Amino acid sequence: MIGQILREAWISITAYKMRSFLTMLGIMIGVAAVVMMVAAGQTVQNEITKTFDSMGTNLIIIGPGETVTGGVRGGRGRPSVSFNDVESLRDLKDVETASYIVNAAVQAVYGSNNYGVSVAGTTPEYLAIGNWEIEDGIMFSERDLKSGKPYIVIGQTVVNELFGLQDPIGKNIRLKGQPFTVIGTLKEKGDGLMGDDQDNIILMPATTLRQRLRGSPRPNYTDVAFVKVTSEDRMESVANRIEYQLRARHRLKDGTDNDFTVRLMTEMVEKVRSVGLILSLLLAAIASISLIVGSIGIMNMMLVSVTERTREIGTRKALGAPNKWIMFQFLTESILISFIGSFVGMVIGVLLSQVAGYYFGREVPISVWSVVISVSVAVVVGIVSGLMPAIKAMKLDPIEALRFQ
Amino acid sequence: MAATDSHEKPVIAVRDLCKTYFMPGGMSQSVLKDVSFTVNSGEFVAIMGHSGSGKSTLMNILGCLDRPTSGVYELAGKNVSDKTDAELAIIRGREIGFVFQNFNLLMKRSIADNVSLPLIYQGIGEKDRYERAVQMLHKVQLQGYEDRLPTQISGGMQQRVAIARALINNPKIIFADEPTGNLDSKTSDEIMELFTDLNRQGITIVLVTHEDDVADYARRMIKIGDGRKVYDGLRADYEKDEA
Repeated sequence: MIGQILREAWISITAYKMRSFLTMLGIMIGVAAVVMMVAAGQTVQNEITKTFDSMGTNLIIIGPGETVTGGVRGGRGRPSVSFNDVESLRDLKDVETASYIVNAAVQAVYGSNNYGVSVAGTTPEYLAIGNWEIEDGIMFSERDLKSGKPYIVIGQTVVNELFGLQDPIGKNIRLKGQPFTVIGTLKEKGDGLMGDDQDNIILMPATTLRQRLRGSPRPNYTDVAFVKVTSEDRMESVANRIEYQLRARHRLKDGTDNDFTVRLMTEMVEKVRSVGLILSLLLAAIASISLIVGSIGIMNMMLVSVTERTREIGTRKALGAPNKWIMFQFLTESILISFIGSFVGMVIGVLLSQVAGYYFGREVPISVWSVVISVSVAVVVGIVSGLMPAIKAMKLDPIEALRFQ
Repeated sequence: MAATDSHEKPVIAVRDLCKTYFMPGGMSQSVLKDVSFTVNSGEFVAIMGHSGSGKSTLMNILGCLDRPTSGVYELAGKNVSDKTDAELAIIRGREIGFVFQNFNLLMKRSIADNVSLPLIYQGIGEKDRYERAVQMLHKVQLQGYEDRLPTQISGGMQQRVAIARALINNPKIIFADEPTGNLDSKTSDEIMELFTDLNRQGITIVLVTHEDDVADYARRMIKIGDGRKVYDGLRADYEKDEA
């Protein structure tokens, strides 16, 4: 019986090709939109995860305290965490290592080439903190840091922009008119969370940066410091120890605010992830509006079809079709239309999101969710929008229906 | 002739058939009043009457599309007056053949599909249906038209397709409701000849018409007037100016 009903439904759909196609189009666009939006959301989520992985998640970030003016929290206060403060943290329990950064943005010049780069004045431990690896040459040493040597380690973007195919090791480049010697290059990392180029970076000893690029009345203070914790479940306790240690070193009295901030990377990851999730859900919700419109299209078409085919329904009933048969026939038609529409929509959605991913240079996942969503949408939409017309067809009185002109 | 075989149970036996429509506000209208008659196997009966006489209502009840308000209707020995809709659908599909005034073919479906339509609801497979359709089309001299569409053939041919469709389930009886109403007189004659021919092969036919020359093809005539049976006898004995 199912085979017979399927065949009857298929013949009815193909008998009105244009109308059936236009009805399917609504569902197709809806499903394609949902699939693409889900793919976009997942891509964003994946990019977030990838970026955090490239930074490492078991990090604690220590920044300057917040300014408090008349009880209102303002922006960052002046630097309060010194190089020595950070070095003292390395001895705390469960701390793998700690490092800090002093930032500068300058033009790098080599021969006739020049390029704007961000410079991080830091310590050798920064490699481990930032999950960096040396591609070529070496990292500067603790001794270079102590003596403020003009040694730099450069990212791949800097290599490409300034040196092209030349070997940069041992070459001198100029920053703010002063020479620095390239002693190493960093492995490529790719784009950051905001699409920023993580490889456009120069690392040098923090002392060197302070002496040569960016002086300060408090030269031994950090812009931001990082502590790498041995494992993620130790984050909280290490954060508490850091706070205790820094308060002691800064001689803060009980009851006063910290003059520094301690943030856990894991918490930031969670925040950004949840924002990403909300974003994907929002996109999917917006896209599903077109699905609703599509399913209204199916219901409309089925209602028109039932009215148009009133005499056919009357004839079928007179010739022995049970009411249930009539209902299932129309229900099957709407499910079939919705199913084909959803399937094609899914294929289109997957293809378009792959094309878009290729165009924007992102890896777009093909998600099982797309298939699950399409199939369930097909069945649900088909039943929901087909049920009312099918019941209408079922309830038609054969005598009235046969008389219908 | 089978009609004379009095030992056999009649195909149709109605006793005191009434149909009353109840309207909101307590009003009611009697459309059929105490109609009784029997139709034996192999008969060719014309049911006549003016519009509004109740003959369409009678036809709907006889065709199991409607139920009487009171009275008994036995089809092939079975009481069908109090069957459910689902049971009536099965009876229509297995025991009855319908021929309508406006043919009621599915215009987008092939002629073979149209002829074999009733068999779908009996769960008969596609191949068997097609073979049976070919046989039935042969009976109505439409062999070779299986795969055409109803839109490609004339009105008379369409009605013959409808007759083939009515025959396909080997019904106990065929109900033809104004079967020539949409046809010109020459085609009407051809269709009535076909009915006569089928009746000679032993098929019981009940014909509803208001045209005298169409009724002339039937042997027996039942006339309905104002909801009552006003004549039941040989068509040839009926005085045309009696009513």
